[in-house]
Amino acid sequence: MTLTWQQELKKCVKCGACMAVCPIYRQTGREEMVARGKLNLIERVDLEKPAHKKEIPAGWLEAIDSCLLCCSCEENCSKGVKITEIIAAARNRQSAKQGLNPIKKSAFALLLNRFFSMARLLKAGSFMQWLLWRRLPRHSGLVRRLPLPGIDDKTVIPALPRQQLDDYLRKRKAAPNLEPVLYFPGCATRYLYPQMGLDLIYVLEQLGFYGVVPPEFNCCGLVTWGAGDSKSTMELQQRNLAVIQKHAAIRQIVTGCASCGHALKEYDGLPADCEILDISEFLFRHKEKLEKLVGSRKLNRKITYHDPCHLRKGQKITAQPRWLLQLIAGENFVEMRHPERCCGAGGTFGLSHKALSRKILAEKTRDTDASGAEIVASGCPGCLLQLTEGALLAESSWEARHPVTVLADLLKNDAGKENRKEVE
Amino acid sequence: MTQPVKPLLNQLTAELKAAGFASGQIIMADESRACYGYDATRQSADPMLVLLPESGQQVETAIKLAAKRKLKIFPRGAASGMSGGSIPSSDGIIISLTRMNRILEIDQENMIATVEPGVVTGELQEEVSRYGLFYPPDPASLSFSTLGGNVAENAGGPRAVKYGVTADYVMGLEAVLINGETIKCGNKCVKSVSGYDLTSLLVGSEGTLAVITKILLKLVPAPESVKTSLLAFPSMSAAALAITAMFKNQISPSTIEFLDHHSINAVRETLPFSLPAAADTVLLVEIDGSSTSVMAQSQKLKKLFENKALLLIEARDEGERAQLWTARRRLSPAIANLAPHKINEDIAVPRAAIPAVIARLEQLSARIALPIVCFGHAGDGNIHVNVMLDKNDPEQAQRGVKAVDEIFAITLELGGTLSGEHGIGNTKSAYLDKEWSAATIAAMRAIKQAFDPENRLNPGKIFPTPGSQPCH
Repeated sequence: MTLTWQQELKKCVKCGACMAVCPIYRQTGREEMVARGKLNLIERVDLEKPAHKKEIPAGWLEAIDSCLLCCSCEENCSKGVKITEIIAAARNRQSAKQGLNPIKKSAFALLLNRFFSMARLLKAGSFMQWLLWRRLPRHSGLVRRLPLPGIDDKTVIPALPRQQLDDYLRKRKAAPNLEPVLYFPGCATRYLYPQMGLDLIYVLEQLGFYGVVPPEFNCCGLVTWGAGDSKSTMELQQRNLAVIQKHAAIRQIVTGCASCGHALKEYDGLPADCEILDISEFLFRHKEKLEKLVGSRKLNRKITYHDPCHLRKGQKITAQPRWLLQLIAGENFVEMRHPERCCGAGGTFGLSHKALSRKILAEKTRDTDASGAEIVASGCPGCLLQLTEGALLAESSWEARHPVTVLADLLKNDAGKENRKEVE
Repeated sequence: MTQPVKPLLNQLTAELKAAGFASGQIIMADESRACYGYDATRQSADPMLVLLPESGQQVETAIKLAAKRKLKIFPRGAASGMSGGSIPSSDGIIISLTRMNRILEIDQENMIATVEPGVVTGELQEEVSRYGLFYPPDPASLSFSTLGGNVAENAGGPRAVKYGVTADYVMGLEAVLINGETIKCGNKCVKSVSGYDLTSLLVGSEGTLAVITKILLKLVPAPESVKTSLLAFPSMSAAALAITAMFKNQISPSTIEFLDHHSINAVRETLPFSLPAAADTVLLVEIDGSSTSVMAQSQKLKKLFENKALLLIEARDEGERAQLWTARRRLSPAIANLAPHKINEDIAVPRAAIPAVIARLEQLSARIALPIVCFGHAGDGNIHVNVMLDKNDPEQAQRGVKAVDEIFAITLELGGTLSGEHGIGNTKSAYLDKEWSAATIAAMRAIKQAFDPENRLNPGKIFPTPGSQPCH
């Protein structure tokens, strides 16, 4: 039985365990900012009351807005309160009352519009971006060329590729001898990091699987859900479910994006025989085969791991990525202190709460520095972008990469040295 | 907020700002204040104002300005308390110490840490471990409770059987009195007998005597290794005999936790190992120290109980250790499924009286027809007694209240105390005179009177106020 958010709220006994893990509370030391306080606010401030008809109290707005939806509190809650559901429901009521933030509103419209799509907008951007942005020397990503409002010279944005994942895949040949699996790349991989998608597809092929990427897949809906736009979320869910139904012969859906996997697993109406798997889970299922493939090859650079919140806390996946890195790097895989702590990205949180997000990031960067690793691996494009910004801010030389990219490089590396062409 | 209060508050905040408080350190909005009025007892009251000082000097300033207006002061740490110690009243100011969270010094030579009160206990432990040092007190809330709160409540934990409680580690304090003056007590000396021992007086005073702003804590060398074992026994008395046997055989566990048969039944299905059906009491034993000593003690433990215990599992690595602890960790949520509500008391008795207490509570449970689940720290006699009930049923609620009266009566009869580690706060103040004579309470009140003649510092705690009702 699913509880309403009101019933969910009542499960909280205010023990305070959320204080131990909330990244926002850690930085602010303010009770309104931790789950226990936010739940108290939601319970106390009844938005339906005449007093709040026009205006929602500022303290309520700030607290509800200041949440990364990182699920750290949920992981640490002995009562199992679905805190992020309560927060999303609160944002939903807020937007019903005040309307969505206009920037988010137009962005979400793009996610749903089939003609003026996100894909086309970003492709157009890929031609124009060099006017304002320049490539980072040591990392993947761009920083501004000229002063821009609200963006400082350390803000890293991904380079918009001219060729998106779908463009590469159009040229792909069918492989009837391989077993098909559905691959849900997610927006970041499709439009921003196509190489990540190609690497994942390559790894699947090496294991004997063909990653089917239906171009009709939409955004997973996590971003609209988090913003309190339940209407768009439902619409995106329905469209993706329709795609899944259409490919009824394939029962496994893999993704390399922690957030997408987290969202997909929560879908209502997912066919019972359908399985959503993070790529690390999928690879672990084919452990023997992959171990054989990797053979004696070993990454000779020190590598560490950052747990994406939506993998660790959202999907309870911690062992499989570590097994993978152990396989790739052996003794060169080292744990950082507090790999479980959020990096502060949280979807659009990094943009809307820059200062706070960077304070959270600074701790993560320090822990990464202290690990002595040259690469920090993380199975989430959002985390990778944030970590890259962290390296830039701290002037650290490590780079942030998806575990699958590291694996693909290793598998391609027959001669013992890297010889691959980066996709522009 | 009622109207007459508003001008007063506006004036007060103006003065606070003039004295250096930033606007982010002053919380006035209704909705935000409401987030500083609760703790883990599910009580709630909105303070008139919340302040987030960042230094001892700011605490002084705040208290002085409040004194001018004779306002009440309620110090607050992480508010994870179990006895209502930080619950304010609507005419009082909350001083939240969470922003005073700096570890000021780790003096490795003298093995002493100097901290601000808002430092989270677990964070200090993590920090000192980097220097091979150890801060032993381990309340269940250590990953979020603050040291200031631990000191104010004299928090304990499972390791108390070997390492003692918070009081055993507080070497000195700085604290602000209700008149706004700072006092210093204690120092870094192991031996120190100059004047009254105000440090000991302030530890466990539940924020009623002064607001703690700096703490000197004793550290010890970190143990080299830890060995965890789980033992099952057919009865509570067999388990108690086993504990006595351990000490007699020079085994000195750092932790002896127990689960009674209700607790065992609540978690049995979820455990990663199987427990014999006849298991009535489970002991979770940890031995720490140098590797050789831990090895020798563990071998002795094994030899002693291999045949006497129904089950003896020894954890071979960190993963197995975590598995054994799941029995204890899953307990709280598991027993919550037994009934909609629970009344949770944390009585303590001399260790030898544990079987007698458990037997008496068993009889009580049968008499009042409510399950009573007991678990806790067998090593130090601190028992968490949980009366399981549905408070929405008025008749059950009444039986629950009666049960608490009897639990305390049984405890005191057996030489125990109302609270082992949670404190009296406002939830147990109505029972204080069951434990202490009028003369004793008068002596305590005289101390309170000397420190806080106007009763403005955390009023309503420890001492029964006229008409105060126990709160469960």
